[in-house]
Amino acid sequence: MASFIGFYSLSFGLFFSIFIILYSFINLKNSEVLDKKIVSFTFIQFFFVLISFLGLIISFVNSDFSNETVFNHSHTTKPLFYKISGTWGNHEGSLLLWLLVLTLFISIFLIRSNQQPTKYRIFTLLFQQIIIIGFFIFLIKTSSPFNYIFPKPNEGLGLNPILQDPALAIHPPILYLGYVGSSIIFSSALGAMVTSHVTKEWAKHIKRWVLISWVFLTLGILLGSIWAYYELGWGGFWFWDPVENVSLMPWFALTTLLHCILVLEKKKILTSWAMILSIATFALSMSGTFLVRSGILNSVHTFANDPERGLFILIFLFTLIFLSIFIFIFFHSEKEKIENNFFWLSKESSILVNNWFMMYFLSVVLIGTIYPIFLEVITANKISVGPPFYNKLIIPFLIPFLLAMAIGPKLNWIKSDFKDKFYMIIFLMISFLLSALIIKEFDISFLINTILVTSAFFLFFSTLREFFIKRLKNLSQNIAHFGFSLLILSVLFNNIFSNEIITNLKIGETFRSDKFTINFENIDQEDEKNFKAIIGKFNVLHTDGSSDTLNPELRIYNQPNIITSEADIKTNLLTDKFMTMNYVQNQEYFNIRYQVKPFMIWIWISVILISFGGLLSFFKKRYEI
Amino acid sequence: MRFIHIFLIASIILNFNFLKAEDIKTENKIAKNLRCLICQGQSVYDSDSEFAISLKLLIKNKIQEGMSEEQIYSFLKTKYGEWILYDPVFNRNTYFLWLLPLLIFLAGGAIIIRKFNNKNNLN
Repeated sequence: MASFIGFYSLSFGLFFSIFIILYSFINLKNSEVLDKKIVSFTFIQFFFVLISFLGLIISFVNSDFSNETVFNHSHTTKPLFYKISGTWGNHEGSLLLWLLVLTLFISIFLIRSNQQPTKYRIFTLLFQQIIIIGFFIFLIKTSSPFNYIFPKPNEGLGLNPILQDPALAIHPPILYLGYVGSSIIFSSALGAMVTSHVTKEWAKHIKRWVLISWVFLTLGILLGSIWAYYELGWGGFWFWDPVENVSLMPWFALTTLLHCILVLEKKKILTSWAMILSIATFALSMSGTFLVRSGILNSVHTFANDPERGLFILIFLFTLIFLSIFIFIFFHSEKEKIENNFFWLSKESSILVNNWFMMYFLSVVLIGTIYPIFLEVITANKISVGPPFYNKLIIPFLIPFLLAMAIGPKLNWIKSDFKDKFYMIIFLMISFLLSALIIKEFDISFLINTILVTSAFFLFFSTLREFFIKRLKNLSQNIAHFGFSLLILSVLFNNIFSNEIITNLKIGETFRSDKFTINFENIDQEDEKNFKAIIGKFNVLHTDGSSDTLNPELRIYNQPNIITSEADIKTNLLTDKFMTMNYVQNQEYFNIRYQVKPFMIWIWISVILISFGGLLSFFKKRYEI
Repeated sequence: MRFIHIFLIASIILNFNFLKAEDIKTENKIAKNLRCLICQGQSVYDSDSEFAISLKLLIKNKIQEGMSEEQIYSFLKTKYGEWILYDPVFNRNTYFLWLLPLLIFLAGGAIIIRKFNNKNNLN
């Protein structure tokens, strides 16, 4: 019943697009005020998609296996929380969620943009409707979440256990809020170009959308990373996996846009660049969805693929890109005034430097991700592009980037002199001494590590000082930059000082190294609702006298029948102690991984700080820079 | 004399331990730079599949035979193809992969410099 309502509600939603477009065109002719009906129709459309989405959730909660999506991705013994999160833990449901957020955002946009010209609002709505209709057709044609199975099966196939996790349950919705937010930026940029509204006012108004999408995208990536850290059992938080890269690319583009908009809201320059970035961010979000869904990428995350769907998204994506290129060429004119002089030492130029590096990082990730695909198609050679590639091309460039990030915000608009020369030199010296002291081990990587840590410390101290001298002024930007320095520092220390071993142990055996002793005491068995757990009891004695008890788990899920391993992590402010236990077929011993990872929690904290900076800026009434 | 003996033995043992620790470090480093061919986007180091376990053993043996890191990579490359290496080799196939980002960086710099010069000339 719920599926039935869901399906028809979806079709009604699509039907309302016709009304919205029709009334929009009528409204364009006498565009003094926005027709109230258009707003109502947009809301009704959102309402129908919401009903449809709720219908799917209810089908999942009731384990209605006559619905194909529910049958493929759920099971009666699954806990309620994961029944609900299973709604978007699959291809069909996640697309419905996309559509829900699309319609929600355009409704919010219409309410919140009443200060803007009517024509611009209508055009933005129209462009957004193209995307919405595309998704409606995609959903109904190729991936309907409401397909009917007869006769009704008694039991479902279950959700992949590694997806049954609280962080992963909220990861897709948060990430989608970021992705879909970029669709509003895209439509609004097109609308602004068509109506020649690329102005300071536009920049001020769209900045909030940029900020909110950026905050959600950042948090979405963070959640995915946290999940990978404790669920995949490798102890890492970033693998340069293609699917991770795909979420990172729009983030780079959006971060660039965020900085570019700062200039645009002050002076009418860089308009073309802002337009290109707005289009690129959305194109990257969409192609991300395409690459993940098409199954082209070889990745841990690939959980749904079908060539027909991939083709649809590809055609849709190209249509949108061609449309935006067309509009950019024929409607956008760069009317920048000559008064806008650039001087080398100014805030504008430092923001350009930011844009420059961000685009470089983006190009490294983009080329690294798609180059192997093209090479395979053209020459049939398969190559892998992994962490060493990204490290080699990104890490050296971080050094000037961090230094510029420390200096840039201190500069004034238009023209500036170096202030605080004294403090900057002192900070640089302190940072260098501190880094050299910390990285005592003298080997080949000493030089690069020291310089890297020095530049990160330099940013750290510079932003820290800003808190005291500027206090509330520029707080949001300062928090974000401070968070970034903290992030780089924690990642570096985490990499340099982590300590890890892999060993095979039987029950009762002990592993000894010069840093710690691991004692495998015994195992326990526990029965849960949808899995059996084998819990290992380990005692780890460190040379400094501290000891920990760690209980990593093996879970044998009933449906689908999969063994997963759950890490046990002891976290404190300085280090994480991370242990996993893996089952080895036909052997008495277990495979044990133990890692001591310093400053792990600071990686998460710093990313939260970064997004908090963005959030603070979003809620600020007036921008003072 | 006896003291020297003990010292020698001790230093050999210590040295041996040190070398062993170095070997494990290299082993791990190599395993981290290899793709587990039967897994979905995992490195050999991160994986516990049979393939990964046998490969880790292979790396260990090759190191004991005295092969250098580079030699092991090229050995594995001929055996399994370039797909196994996470660090793509710089050759005809990958010129673009390695150089394109750097070219983009240079082009970006050039655009910025031109922007400044143009604007200042206009005045």
